[in-house]
Amino acid sequence: MSVIIAKGIKKVYNPKTIPVHALNGVDFSIEKGEFTAIVGPSGSGKTTLLNIIGGLDNPSEGYIEVGGQDISKLSDNELIEFRKNNIGFVFQAYNLIPVMTAKENVEFVMLLQKRSQEERDARVDELMEAVGISDKKDKRPSQLSGGQQQRVAVARALAPKPHFILADEPTANLDSKSTSNLLDIMANLNKKENMTFVFSTHDQRVIDRARRVITIDDGRVVSDEVR
Amino acid sequence: MLIKIAWRNIWRSRTRSLVVIGSIVIGVWAVIALISFSSGMVTTFINNSIKNELSHIQIHNAGFLKERGVKFSIDKNADLFEKIKNDPNVLAASQRTVNTGMISSAKGARGLMIVGVDPETEDELTGLSDNIKEGDYFNPKKRNPILISKKMAEKLQVKVRQKVVLTFQNKQNDIATGAFRIAGFFSTGNTNFDGFRVYTRRSDINRLMGEENIAHQIAVSLKDPKTLLASQTAIQEMNPSLSVQTYKEVSPEINLFESQIAISAGIFTFIVMLALIFGIINTMLMAVLERYRELGMLMSVGMKKGQIFLMIMLETIMLGMVAAPFGLLFGYATVKWLSKRGIDLSAYSDGLQQFGMSEKIYPDLSPEYYGMLAVAVAITSILASIYPALKAIRLKPVEAIRQL
Ligand SMILES: Nc1ncnc2c1ncn2[C@@H]1O[C@H](COP(=O)(O)OP(=O)(O)O)[C@@H](O)[C@H]1O
Ligand SMILES: [Mg+2]
Repeated sequence: MSVIIAKGIKKVYNPKTIPVHALNGVDFSIEKGEFTAIVGPSGSGKTTLLNIIGGLDNPSEGYIEVGGQDISKLSDNELIEFRKNNIGFVFQAYNLIPVMTAKENVEFVMLLQKRSQEERDARVDELMEAVGISDKKDKRPSQLSGGQQQRVAVARALAPKPHFILADEPTANLDSKSTSNLLDIMANLNKKENMTFVFSTHDQRVIDRARRVITIDDGRVVSDEVR
Repeated sequence: MLIKIAWRNIWRSRTRSLVVIGSIVIGVWAVIALISFSSGMVTTFINNSIKNELSHIQIHNAGFLKERGVKFSIDKNADLFEKIKNDPNVLAASQRTVNTGMISSAKGARGLMIVGVDPETEDELTGLSDNIKEGDYFNPKKRNPILISKKMAEKLQVKVRQKVVLTFQNKQNDIATGAFRIAGFFSTGNTNFDGFRVYTRRSDINRLMGEENIAHQIAVSLKDPKTLLASQTAIQEMNPSLSVQTYKEVSPEINLFESQIAISAGIFTFIVMLALIFGIINTMLMAVLERYRELGMLMSVGMKKGQIFLMIMLETIMLGMVAAPFGLLFGYATVKWLSKRGIDLSAYSDGLQQFGMSEKIYPDLSPEYYGMLAVAVAITSILASIYPALKAIRLKPVEAIRQL
């Protein structure tokens, strides 16, 4: 069953001033539970594509369906609601809430969803354990290393049990040990929780771990292989 | 949860928040200090006027107020004065003969009001003997003593113990004159008031006017000013035909002064709050722009615009909520301290004396005003929070996240 369907996606930035063609007709579909890497050099359109899948941005042209919903038709607040309930984001630069502890960051989206205290506590414990930072619960992001922050970010993305995890170059700022560590964690959680993972990268070590690799260049899919 | 985030966000850039809090504290403090000073000034003025000039209650023949004629005496009510004096609410009371006329010396003449007083009761009522700056209060052994103001003495070029002549109307509407010797110069602190009146003994002026018991006015001071209206009614009921006025009726401009203070307090508060609004908006805008990326991230993970809006508003309002109590407290402490100590204005009091100011001002501020100011700060911070909060929710999450 395809849970993400992209047909003829085009994206032009600044169409009226200096148009930048970031995506020039992208087609693919992704099945439930896949662990997919979107690969391409810098500037090839990876971030743009992930933002469109995650409902952060609209395509200029084309059809995008995520979890059975045509998300190009949603209003701003509907998109926020859609993201809250369906998508977990992991950004390149960690992007945690600086004034909150690791635990509170992981808990945050569940709080927005008004989940009960017990449910939140159980889920936070489970995930902190899974990403291996149980002992850093009460530390603020500034007190954590890059690898630790990114693990908190993964735990936060997973906490509300979204259907999709979208990670934009999650390992770009990590050393190789942290990178393989984080990939282990993501691969494990992908198996255990049966969420659909899509991440962008141009890091060969990450590409090697993906089960499906969609390569894009200059806003076009140039290869798509399942291993 | 929003409250928790907002609270922590405030302390992220401690210096900036402290600057905002500090400016609110100073603003509130300045408003309190200034308003308490001007309200203290008015209170001092009113109290001085009551003490020296108006007393709490004045009783006249109704005709006297209309026509000012000397024939409108109240001496037919023989036991009136005794009754008033014995009223338990009354602190002191004094009868006066009031006449208009002219004073002349070898060097000049001036029109004026002649007030004939009973030295003892008058002193109890107004403390007139304390206002003698040169010479003596009425000496019972001397013939026809008179008290004039320093200003008048300068105009007439006379000294203490020299003679002046008063010309006035007697009870038969004829012109009468009498020679008086200056016992002393008085000064109440209000040169306008002092310049146009002289004090003689009531017995002297009455004798010259041809009737022993003339009295045009009874002035009454009360033990407790709160009994003002009750006492007025009580005295009025004793003597339905007489005019019984409170000091506010005798001198309506006193009410004007009070409302004037309220208005200028309002305007000053408004100006300070307006300045604070712009200061706060500026700072909060900085805080929002600085956190553009973070706000975008919050929207990406599912925080609604309403929640972002509320968060920024809460941050702003909390700053006000932290600052207001300090400002109020400092203001209160300042007023308390100054009201004990008084502000000595003797260096400037030449100008002020004309308006009936004494040399020391005791700032005071009614308690309701602190409450009003707290509300004003609340409104200010709510108003100031709206624009930055709007700015925050106008951002597009993708763009905000891109800004690396
Ligand atoms: N907001 C924007 N305005 C204009 N051009 C943009 C914007 N965002 C991205 N681009 C351009 O679109 C192209 C694709 O960018 P991006 O999706 O970030 O690629 P990647 O993530 O693969 O590096 C690049 O040429 C980039 O400069
Ligand atoms: Mg990118």
